[in-house]
Amino acid sequence: MPNYSHSPAIVVENLHKSYGDVHALRGIDLEIRTGEVFGLLGPNGAGKTTTVEILEGLRQRTSGKVSVLGFDPAIEVKRIKDRIGVCLQAMNLPDKIKVHEALELFAAFYSEEVDRRKLLDRLQLGVKRDAYYSTLSGGQKQRVALALALLNNPALLFLDEPTTGLDPQVRHEIHGLIQELKEDRRTILITTHYIEEAERLCDRVAFVDAGKIVEMGTPREIQRRVMGETLVEVTADAPLPLDLLPEALRSEPHTARDQDCTISLQTASPAAAIVELVKWIDRQGLHLIDIHMKRPTLEDVFIKLTGRKLRE
Amino acid sequence: MRPYLAQIRNNLRLMARDRAVLVFSYLFPSIFFFMFAQLFDARQSPGAMAQVLAMVIVIGILGSGFFGAGMRAVQERETNILRRFKVAPISAAPIIVASLVSGLVNFLPVVAFYLILSCAYYKMPWPHNMLSLFVFVSIGIVAFRAAGMIVASVVNSAQEAQLVTQILYLPMLFLSGATIPVSVMPGWIQIVANFLPATYLYQGIESILIGGASIAATRSAVVGLLITLAVSLFVGVKLFRWEKEEKIRNSAKLWILAVLAPFIVMGVYQARTGQSTLQNTIMARNILRSRSYLFQNANIFVGNGRVIQGGSVLVRNGKIAEVYEVAPGNLQSLNAEIVNAVGKTIIPGLIDMHVHLGAPGGIYSDSSGYSDPKLAERRLAAYLYSGITAVRSTGDWLTSSFEWRHDIQSGEYLGAEPFICGPLFTTPGGHGTEYYKNLPQNQQKLWEKEFVRLPASQGEARKEVDALHAAGIDCIKAVLESGNSSFGLFNHMDAAIYRAVISEAQADHLPSATHTGNAGDVKEAADAGSSSIEHGSMNDLIPASTWAEMKEKNLVYDPTLSVYEAQADFANGNPELLTRSLVQQVGPANLIASTRAAVEKNRTKPSRDFAPLLVLVNKNLVNAYKAGVTLITGTDAGNILVIHGPTVQHELELWVKAGIPPAIALEAATYNAAKVLGASGRIGSIQKGRDATFVLLEGDPLVDIANTERIAMVMFRGERIDRSALFNQTRK
Repeated sequence: MPNYSHSPAIVVENLHKSYGDVHALRGIDLEIRTGEVFGLLGPNGAGKTTTVEILEGLRQRTSGKVSVLGFDPAIEVKRIKDRIGVCLQAMNLPDKIKVHEALELFAAFYSEEVDRRKLLDRLQLGVKRDAYYSTLSGGQKQRVALALALLNNPALLFLDEPTTGLDPQVRHEIHGLIQELKEDRRTILITTHYIEEAERLCDRVAFVDAGKIVEMGTPREIQRRVMGETLVEVTADAPLPLDLLPEALRSEPHTARDQDCTISLQTASPAAAIVELVKWIDRQGLHLIDIHMKRPTLEDVFIKLTGRKLRE
Repeated sequence: MRPYLAQIRNNLRLMARDRAVLVFSYLFPSIFFFMFAQLFDARQSPGAMAQVLAMVIVIGILGSGFFGAGMRAVQERETNILRRFKVAPISAAPIIVASLVSGLVNFLPVVAFYLILSCAYYKMPWPHNMLSLFVFVSIGIVAFRAAGMIVASVVNSAQEAQLVTQILYLPMLFLSGATIPVSVMPGWIQIVANFLPATYLYQGIESILIGGASIAATRSAVVGLLITLAVSLFVGVKLFRWEKEEKIRNSAKLWILAVLAPFIVMGVYQARTGQSTLQNTIMARNILRSRSYLFQNANIFVGNGRVIQGGSVLVRNGKIAEVYEVAPGNLQSLNAEIVNAVGKTIIPGLIDMHVHLGAPGGIYSDSSGYSDPKLAERRLAAYLYSGITAVRSTGDWLTSSFEWRHDIQSGEYLGAEPFICGPLFTTPGGHGTEYYKNLPQNQQKLWEKEFVRLPASQGEARKEVDALHAAGIDCIKAVLESGNSSFGLFNHMDAAIYRAVISEAQADHLPSATHTGNAGDVKEAADAGSSSIEHGSMNDLIPASTWAEMKEKNLVYDPTLSVYEAQADFANGNPELLTRSLVQQVGPANLIASTRAAVEKNRTKPSRDFAPLLVLVNKNLVNAYKAGVTLITGTDAGNILVIHGPTVQHELELWVKAGIPPAIALEAATYNAAKVLGASGRIGSIQKGRDATFVLLEGDPLVDIANTERIAMVMFRGERIDRSALFNQTRK
């Protein structure tokens, strides 16, 4: 048995997947450490699902090396499936199955089991044990999906778009649950296109686009890497003489609007830029009305990296 | 094992909660059950009830297979339920197997329920092969569910599933016999039906329920269904798809054909052999024979000398269930179709004890009339049409004789029941050999094998009798005949060899019949102990001492007056026998026309005077009667002017004209004949437990023996014969 705490949970090297002439994955490299929560971000069709399904043993790769919990999913599918938990997007159960029956049924497929009653309680489904699946709310159904994913006490949990289609209240609730799961020191791989979700839940994220990983790191690292993209905006009570902009600022990209009363400026050192701008306005004998600073989000990072929006 | 059990348990639980399952597995078949039971008069007919039960089981299995298994599998894929199973560490096998098993567990109690209802409430007899029934039904359920899963495997959407399912389901529902009896459908539809697995399912269940067949008898259906099951399982696991997004090529739909392949093969085979069309005919006949009738207020000629005035006869399941001397009380409770028989007489089916089915009874204008093998069975139909429900073939080709008997006994063909002697025991140059002596050598060989036995020694004679007995003939026929100057001379069989034939027949418990030509032959036959003496003498009076010996030994006399009269009429150019109404009805018309022409040619020729011969044979009959010898009626039909059909009636008329009382004559034609055939436990009298084989006459035959020709209805083994349809039977 490999020692999970020291070896990575998932290792992917130069992973390729083609469907005929279509290259869905063009060389993915990935290493997910045991116990970390890793987010895979990218628009539909970027290759997230294909990657995850290869890891789950549901799909065969064309080339590259893959190791999941020390097993090759192309060969030891059953062992991998037995040790992982998968919370699927758009999963369904028969209308007339009761919650505890669903758990009982799926538990029969695994070699390891947890206490189902405790699991339900932990997911706040205790009162819904005997309810038919069709009577559950969207949030409850998603929690049942989570319960099914946790039945076998998985060392590795895949959460595929865990909150897509849920209202903000429920999303918040699910995020709470996932944060609790984080504390179990379980490895979790989340695919999502909700940036906030990734920012909030993930230790590290990777951006996937057109079958490649275009950026990877902690959310903060990535933001910092593109700090140059911070936007500083000042507004004065009269038009600003842009041609008199100080030498230090003139080299940064900038635009003006509101008959030159507002100036926007992109910079890697926003604090210094703000001080310079404020001083300059004062020197011009004008009054500062407003000041605004916008840090880039992961979304902005993504747009910057790919020229596309995530939700496209 | 655990995933399988969990999945089965889950399926059963969901089925119990699913309204669609309740509707398709329970409600639908229930509606059909009671509706069909009403429609097919199931209370009056155990056969019809069995048919209804088979229909309902098949409807249930079709529903379970195509909707319970097939559509449900599609729904589970389309609604993303299967997706969840995809990520669990199981293959498709537990899902498919669980669907089959849970269908079985769900439906078998339904089958048991309807079976109990059929037997307890509708009085269907319990099937002999209960195990076969449940094994066969189980195979059916599992195979059809597997086929349903294949449909699910090869369609890409719910709409497509609907379409493919209906394409398979509807023809199977309507053409397999599950809703409309196949036997009433046109021939080409019956051929189409042979390509549908449900047809075999239906026929298998029906034959177990009605025919008392075991699972072994349904093996072609079983093998077909098992192949379907195996292919479905293999292909089902291979093509299994967990998500609606995974589409399948259209060409994969051809897998359905692979699954149905055994039935395509069987359909082609059936289309070529007509085997199943035959099976349908037999099955439909069995159902007709299981109906219940009450003949009310009839005169009943019992057959054993008794006559019941205003009695009733209850027919149930092919047998006479009861004979009432006074009208039964609660008619409703009998659950039988009432036949008002006031003023009519029921007599046991008539029996002709001396016919040659291979001979036409007339002259055809061309040879095809002699070589057509279908004609012999048509002759049996002509007998049944005329109320003659059994005949004894006293000399016919052996192989053909077995075929005729088989086809009637199996129910494939409707006609009088033949009792067969096969070949005649005679001697080289003896009577019987004249029919083939002018044929080519190779033909003669065949005739000697099929038509005669010419034992050269007593030992050979015994061996030949034993061989025929072992082959399954009903009676031994021997010939003692020297002929005479006007008809030709024959070699007479060696006395010791003849005695060996008769004594060996006795040892084998076979009845024997001896053709005799003169009083000496009769004496010889009586001395040997031949069960019946055929013809008697056309040359001299049979002495009282011989009659006394026959009475003493309980040997019976079959005078065959008809053939003597016919010979005379032919020689005299008198076609009157051809103008009898029933003869005209049975035909065939071309035979009657050409025979008439041949007979009329003789009109102008000088002929010898037959009157003394006819007087002589009448006298022999009357003397036998007066001596107390038991009489039976034979006619030697097949000889010219003794047309197969209403033979016994005319024989009876001749007897009564000769001075025999009608009751004695009628008893000879029914009860006595049955006794000589060794079949009196089954036919020949109107008694409880006998076959429901009888004739309803418009008038009283004891008042006028010609009333035996006024037939209101012929009942054969419980089947009310559609007489006009007898000649339209199709043959393989």
